[in-house]
Amino acid sequence: MAHVLIMPRQGNTVESCVIVRWKAAEGQGVGADEGLCEVETDKASFEVPAGEAGVLLKILHPEGDDVPVLAPIAVIGKAGEDWAAALKAATAPAGEAPRAAAPSAAPGPSAAPNASAASRPAPAASGSAPGVSPRARALAAREGIDASALAGTGPGGRVIERDLRAALAAGPGLTAAARAAVASGASAPRSGSALGGRVGIADLAAGPAAAAPGAAPGREDTRREALGQERFAETPLKSIRRIIAERMRASLAGTAQLTFNGSAKAARILELRARFKAAGPESGLAEVTIGDLVLFAVARTIPKFPSVNAHLVEGKLRVFERLHLGLAVDTPRGLMVPVIRNADLLSLRELSAEAKRLAAACAAGNVSPDELSGATFTVSNLGAFGVESFTPVLNAPEVGILGVDAIVNGVAAGPDGRPLLEPRMGLSLTVDHQIVDGAPAARILKAVADAIADIDLLLLK
Amino acid sequence: MSAYDVIILGGGPGGYLAAERLGHAGKKVLLVESGELGGTCLNVGCVPTKTLLNSAKLYAHAKEGSKFGVTATGLSYDWAAMQAWKKEVVEKLRGAIALTEKKLGVEVLAARGRLLGPGKVEARDAAGTSTVHEAPAVVIATGSTPIMPPIPGCRDNPKVLDSTGLLSVADVPKKLCVIGGGVIGVEFAGLFAALGSEVEVVEMMDEIIPFMDKEQAPVMRRAMKGVAFRLGCKVERIEGGTVFYRTKEGAEASCAADLVLMAVGRRANVEGWGAKEAGLDLGPKGLVVDERMRTNLPGVWAVGDVNGRSQLAHSAYRMAEVAANDILGGPDSNRMRYAALPWVVYGLPEAAGVGLTEQEAAAKGLAVKKAALPLRVSGRFCAENGFAAPGSVKVLADAADGRVLGIHLVGAYASEMIWGAAALIEQELRVADAKEIVFPHPTVCEAIREAIWAID
Repeated sequence: MAHVLIMPRQGNTVESCVIVRWKAAEGQGVGADEGLCEVETDKASFEVPAGEAGVLLKILHPEGDDVPVLAPIAVIGKAGEDWAAALKAATAPAGEAPRAAAPSAAPGPSAAPNASAASRPAPAASGSAPGVSPRARALAAREGIDASALAGTGPGGRVIERDLRAALAAGPGLTAAARAAVASGASAPRSGSALGGRVGIADLAAGPAAAAPGAAPGREDTRREALGQERFAETPLKSIRRIIAERMRASLAGTAQLTFNGSAKAARILELRARFKAAGPESGLAEVTIGDLVLFAVARTIPKFPSVNAHLVEGKLRVFERLHLGLAVDTPRGLMVPVIRNADLLSLRELSAEAKRLAAACAAGNVSPDELSGATFTVSNLGAFGVESFTPVLNAPEVGILGVDAIVNGVAAGPDGRPLLEPRMGLSLTVDHQIVDGAPAARILKAVADAIADIDLLLLK
Repeated sequence: MSAYDVIILGGGPGGYLAAERLGHAGKKVLLVESGELGGTCLNVGCVPTKTLLNSAKLYAHAKEGSKFGVTATGLSYDWAAMQAWKKEVVEKLRGAIALTEKKLGVEVLAARGRLLGPGKVEARDAAGTSTVHEAPAVVIATGSTPIMPPIPGCRDNPKVLDSTGLLSVADVPKKLCVIGGGVIGVEFAGLFAALGSEVEVVEMMDEIIPFMDKEQAPVMRRAMKGVAFRLGCKVERIEGGTVFYRTKEGAEASCAADLVLMAVGRRANVEGWGAKEAGLDLGPKGLVVDERMRTNLPGVWAVGDVNGRSQLAHSAYRMAEVAANDILGGPDSNRMRYAALPWVVYGLPEAAGVGLTEQEAAAKGLAVKKAALPLRVSGRFCAENGFAAPGSVKVLADAADGRVLGIHLVGAYASEMIWGAAALIEQELRVADAKEIVFPHPTVCEAIREAIWAID
């Protein structure tokens, strides 16, 4: 019997995922552990393995579809096998969540979705799931709008009809032909060169055919560029980039951010790191980095200042008992912020191990969405890049974020009064001035700097 | 020296409309024109020809009225009175332009402008007084002039006229030879044929109106009764009123006429006002401009015939608005598009078109679906023109996405309905979309609807 691949569950909060890319085509052979498609939630992307070796008989959802978790997405089996029968057999009777492993479920006619029916989100995608409502989806298809690129205002960020209407009202729209082309897969910029700035056929994302022949710019082309007709590629912000864009904009628009720059004496932290390294692998400390030590200092210091271990939501300050430390991680897909839970309770070794695990998971794209939410204070470390000071942007609704800068040599007065070079680590603390005033912020920064300066003493506590 | 926001060189359709749009937006505009406001179009082009053509049509229709039950006796026309009416129309419309400019605060300077460089224009009036004016934006709208080709016997020959000269001849010629079967040649041929002149058109190409759809041009040509077309013929010399030409087969032939109209095209006016000296980029057809009508010089725009992109008054209007939008910092998407520029040939009958012809689509490698119908599918057309009247509508659509690519018409009212076809193409409507448009009944434009429905 063919294997029906389902959209795997991604943590407890994710109700649907978007299929970003199919890595195999129908009719192609696949291995059991081979990643068959890339899917994305609003927070991260993952690969879904085929699960069983065989031939990819049927792709049930095209790229871009938002599919509820546990819904069938593909059928894998032997070449020539009847995928529809397998799907029918594997799909539970209407009303129950589809289960791939139901071998002899009673086949009912309503439980045999064809490909086009399956490409619409099942009603199972509950109102609280982010995604696109059926009405919005229908309108989007009619108007040639990429609904998934819109910021949803429905429950849980779901894109609803209202969002589509707003997008239609805001943009100049598409010509009839462009709309039809977009409905069948072309992607359109927000405005174009047709009547009244409408998007016309010529504005649609050029396929390979359009770019190929006679593309060498002539004299006139070159001159046109000089006159402000630069060539460029335009793609709508999608998935993680779009989310980052929205969150950053929302953070800057919705808070009163203020950054304080200071520095910590770094002689001891450098010395400690050198000793850890020298201690060798058996010590269990050799992998502990400067960054981990800073996280430890933050984890021990921030709980002393409850007002920054907090969320500001709709006029209410929610102060947390435990510190869940957000860690800004640079990944090929963009910025991700996994969370070290209960960081205030972890030992240095535990903290270091958890930070490494999360960073690796983000880089590999298999971090659980549950691990990407719930931070109460965040650390963003750009020290390795030589950044000496910056203005970290709050990970709203958090009210504080610490930027860690490079260690540079500063000048201090030596014991004999003569100038002395001294390594110092820059620190850039951004707080929401709605909650934290200047003096308390300075105190927090000083406390963190002191903890870093005397990191060896902190470890003994 | 005085400062303006914008200085415009030339008071034709491109220049005066740019002045109006910019003046309306509150800019301080100086419009420099040494001749009359209105340019070629109003003074010696579109408007006077249509005025004369209307009289000719009245005369022609009255002559043919008997088949519709109206008989006129003692019918004649009065060329002098026609000329007087033409003069009145032109002068009144000119006055209207001057009034509009004045209302919008546009300063009109009767002087010859010269571009000294970006932002700097010298204006020399009839008395030879020169003033220099400065503005951050300069719009060049110096228009075009009829071409006098170097055909032996052409220069200083009082029998050879250009369109401007022919418009105000004292008498209607008994025999007119028109060199050039383009828009201007065909319009004058139709006008004088309707007034009873014997007209012969000598055209070098194999068909008249080169940009017309190759199925439609012959419809128009055959419908122009009283005009003999000599196609594929090359004029070799002119002696007095006799035009000597060589036929396609290589035979020598001639046409002895009272007057010869030289209508082989118009050339952009890029000389005499400092274009080269200022460093403006000149292409083979005129000033080189981009889609915003910007020239290579910062702060210098060029609109209308002078850039040679589309020598039509309404193209100049649109270019003027595109340039004004750019000067005013309007939406960047508001650029010049040439794909849906309608054109009209005021022959008897009229022809009009917009978008691609079948030949152009083929040259672009576009597969098309098409439908061509006689205008007899319109009840009104039959009622007003008879069942044998020439008329045709042709619609082309993209075979792949159904988008309407071109609409072409020959027949009465073509000029008045082509804008709708242009709107349809500009909006990139597909055949399926266009089918949902309601056309009024009974009208001739219903034929467009019929042709759209005839595309499968």
